[in-house]
Amino acid sequence: MARSARLTAQAFALAVVVGLLALLIWRVVHDSDKGVSQALADGEQPTAPIFDLKRLDGNGRIDLSTLRGKKPIVIDFWASWCIPCIHESKRLEAARKKYGDRVEFIGVDTKDFSGDARRWQRKHGIGYPSVHDGSGSVLTKWGGLPLPKIFFVDRSGRVIGELEAEEDLPRYLQQIAGS
Amino acid sequence: MRLLLLVVAVLVLVPGAWASEGSPTLSELEGEVMCPVCGTTLDQSNAPAAMQIKRVIADRIAAGDSKSEIKDRLVTEYGEAILAAPRRKGFGLLAWWVPLAGIVGAAIIVGAGAWRWSRGREREPDGPRLDPALERRLDDELARWE
Repeated sequence: MARSARLTAQAFALAVVVGLLALLIWRVVHDSDKGVSQALADGEQPTAPIFDLKRLDGNGRIDLSTLRGKKPIVIDFWASWCIPCIHESKRLEAARKKYGDRVEFIGVDTKDFSGDARRWQRKHGIGYPSVHDGSGSVLTKWGGLPLPKIFFVDRSGRVIGELEAEEDLPRYLQQIAGS
Repeated sequence: MRLLLLVVAVLVLVPGAWASEGSPTLSELEGEVMCPVCGTTLDQSNAPAAMQIKRVIADRIAAGDSKSEIKDRLVTEYGEAILAAPRRKGFGLLAWWVPLAGIVGAAIIVGAGAWRWSRGREREPDGPRLDPALERRLDDELARWE
């Protein structure tokens, strides 16, 4: 009896150790998923990580997977507390007037209060729809801070570039509009 | 004595907690809420995102919200990670109870091990017994020396 109890305790301890080891391995593997920014920097053109988030204006949700294969997309990660976001979002809004019929523009308001974000959009005249990513979990998959982060996704769903310089915007827009 | 200490602790701590729940202060909440872009609590950050949350907290305090209401609002906007410590309800309870259960479990295991070890020592044989004649002789020898 004492022997079987000891064996049970040893098996339990072993199971706990194996479980913790599995958790550690899962965590290491999970952390090694580089974001889109890093993949682009490494010369890759990764498939756009999908998201399905509530729209800031309350009109349902935007599911990125439903747009794949239909239209190229510009994805703008922003927040109302981000000062440089004002300039970039205004440039995107101007570009939307030219490319809006061929390219979808989607904003992702991240790590932000949705009320402040709505006021910010009205104040700066940003008309393209935005979703709310309060926890920043979607932003993390795309590469994390700092903001703004603007990506260009072609019709097939591949991310072909990230905006890094002023001249990147017309160049990437022409590229995805023709995809 | 222990009961008295417990009663005193309850009388001192519980009304404070209730007062804090009903009328929280900004500085108190700044230590319990994370800045979403800096990895520190709000009281250690002046980042724009932190300043925005401080302003919202101040507005909600002025509007008469309780601490739980303010935290619920923050969690709705930012997710559970906005809180510096998990809440003492729902899934967050696990974070409080699992370590406690671990400590209690470890204490039980150590206690049981110590108990078994001490019992094992008690049962250890005293070694071969002396021949009664030899023992008597030894007693006599010892008595002569006293």
